[in-house]
Amino acid sequence: MKIIKLGQIVFGFIFTAILAISPAWSTPEETPHPGFAWQNGAEIYAKICAYCHEAQVGPPIRNRELPPAYIRAIVRNGKRAMPAFRSSEIDDESLVKLVDFISKKETEH
Amino acid sequence: MTSQYIALPKGVAEQTFDAAISSFRNVLGDAAVLTSAEQLAPYIKTMMPVPDANHMPSAALLATTVEQIQKIVAICNQHKVPIWTISTGKNLGYGSAAPAERGQVVLDLKRMNRILEVDKDLAYALVEPGVTYQQLYDYINEHKLGLWLSMPAPTAIAGPVGNTLDRGVGYTPYGEHFLFACGMEVVLANGEVLRTGMGSMPNSNTWQVFKWGYGPYLDGIFTQSNYGIVTKFGFWLMPAPPAFKPFVIQYQHEEDIVEIVETIRPLRINGIIPNAVVIAHALYEAPVIARRSDYVSGPGSISDEAVRKITKDHKLGIWNVYAALYGTQEQIDVNWQIVTQAFGRSGKAKILTEQEMGDDPAFNYRAKLMRGDMTLTEFSLYNWRGGGGSMWFAPVSQARGSETLKQMALTKQILAKYGLDYSGEFIVGMRDMHHIVDVLYDKTDPEQTKAAYQCFDELLTVFSAQGYGTYRVNTAFMDKVAETYGPVQRNVHKTLKHALDPNGILAPGKSGIR
Ligand SMILES: Cc1cc2nc3c(=O)[nH]c(=O)nc-3n(C[C@H](O)[C@H](O)[C@H](O)COP(=O)(O)OP(=O)(O)OC[C@H]3O[C@@H](n4cnc5c(N)ncnc54)[C@H](O)[C@@H]3O)c2cc1C
Repeated sequence: MKIIKLGQIVFGFIFTAILAISPAWSTPEETPHPGFAWQNGAEIYAKICAYCHEAQVGPPIRNRELPPAYIRAIVRNGKRAMPAFRSSEIDDESLVKLVDFISKKETEH
Repeated sequence: MTSQYIALPKGVAEQTFDAAISSFRNVLGDAAVLTSAEQLAPYIKTMMPVPDANHMPSAALLATTVEQIQKIVAICNQHKVPIWTISTGKNLGYGSAAPAERGQVVLDLKRMNRILEVDKDLAYALVEPGVTYQQLYDYINEHKLGLWLSMPAPTAIAGPVGNTLDRGVGYTPYGEHFLFACGMEVVLANGEVLRTGMGSMPNSNTWQVFKWGYGPYLDGIFTQSNYGIVTKFGFWLMPAPPAFKPFVIQYQHEEDIVEIVETIRPLRINGIIPNAVVIAHALYEAPVIARRSDYVSGPGSISDEAVRKITKDHKLGIWNVYAALYGTQEQIDVNWQIVTQAFGRSGKAKILTEQEMGDDPAFNYRAKLMRGDMTLTEFSLYNWRGGGGSMWFAPVSQARGSETLKQMALTKQILAKYGLDYSGEFIVGMRDMHHIVDVLYDKTDPEQTKAAYQCFDELLTVFSAQGYGTYRVNTAFMDKVAETYGPVQRNVHKTLKHALDPNGILAPGKSGIR
């Protein structure tokens, strides 16, 4: 039992150390250059939605004047077999652009 | 007083959780700590036949750096709060982005998505967890690197880190993904950062080219496990071959699987056919081109007669063997002769290439998967029943004809008992097969949902009793499958868990390990 307790103390020490001196733990190439970001609604549509909705897997969704709130809700909640998409995948700002792209008529783009 | 959280971790008081959440906010900022029902909605939907409430997270954390993750594990240890790590979070049919147990905090690494290195000459990549296959595919094309990816069927929306860590498969010669993994960086529960293999050595430039390093090989213990959080991941890419020839071989009887497997095994083991061949049953392919309601009315599973009619109407085989040849044209010509001779022997096989299959959508998406192109056409499976219910039943089989026939018959019989169809395929390794069956059901129908649960449970029970183990399973059945591998393995898993994560903060329940 004593050994286990000792282990826990050491363990606890490491955490405190991390909280206090965390930069020292950083890995060498951890330069904060930004990760991937979507360019616009058309890109998201082409690289996610179109694979199903332009391929007779899911129903067509463009040029149907679907209400923006409805599109937003389906993207975030999924629907039946359609997976839900998290804000980590399509951030809120990009979702606005995507909804705009889907809900507007092709001629309006 | 009602809680301000949609769920709480097991055994954690709300006050304690509050303290943890406020520490997470200090590390990540408010916008990267999600706790409202609306924010968490995409983490809740699963395809499993259990109430979504069983797997409801309490919060989600969007971390982007190793330091943040180190601080998160420290907070989790302090407050005994469990986290469930996802990378791209598209583990559809295995639990999706939801945690194994209600109340776990999802650590969502999707935004930690830098492509750190792609080496054209040595043909490897080093990426962060949030990188999708689409992102990497675009990068490779943009930089004209001439390298191919191997991907699972959800290609664009999934990613190499999550897929390989769950020991997923693809369809090119690099299809057994973990075989091609080379070097990981892992944040351990105590906050230390381990680089596996050659990565442990300062200044080494062989991390992504030599897998084993020195001493016990550790990468395996971070797959299908909860011993660490993988933050960097190296893997090998296939140089684009000068020529590629996809083909399909159709057979018209279920028993023909014996001949198919006996013919394919030597071709596969000898490297004539180098890729992860798929032997797909008609009902796996039919949803791409046919509607169930055109062939079945009323409850119960589809009849053999109706399946035969589908194959006639849509020019499918009962079995459809998708494979490809890769290399120079000369190599392909030689190997094509060997393949056609082997399959031509009995006179039962119909061998078709791109020429005959033209724009056939089922052939096309298989060809895309075999050359690492983007497609989500396999999601057609979910139009078969409708209602969005799905569990992958994934027993391992020997690559031996008699065994595959036995597994297929057994699966079909159990599915039929519960009114479900056999949407199955065999993915051919060198000596093994992943027998993959999509247990499709209508999740909006409570009776069918109940039947699907019981059916899956029986499949696992009956298969394990016959010595057939499952290679991977959804989060509702992880304990059951862990049990089938016996007490000694379970104890070793547990011992490792307690040594590496004494407070049990990392994904308790993953693969039945706590
Ligand atoms: C139609 C359809 C077809 C499919 N076909 C295939 C197929 O061909 N092959 C196949 O393999 N799968 C297939 N799947 C299942 C699944 O969708 C894929 O395996 C997918 O790649 C997994 O999701 P992901 O890549 O986003 O991984 P994630 O969901 O991010 O991760 C998967 C699991 O790995 C663990 N994990 C993830 N990240 C980390 C980390 N950083 N550290 C530690 N542990 C971690 C977690 O337990 C997590 O649940 C299919 C699904 C569908 C719906």
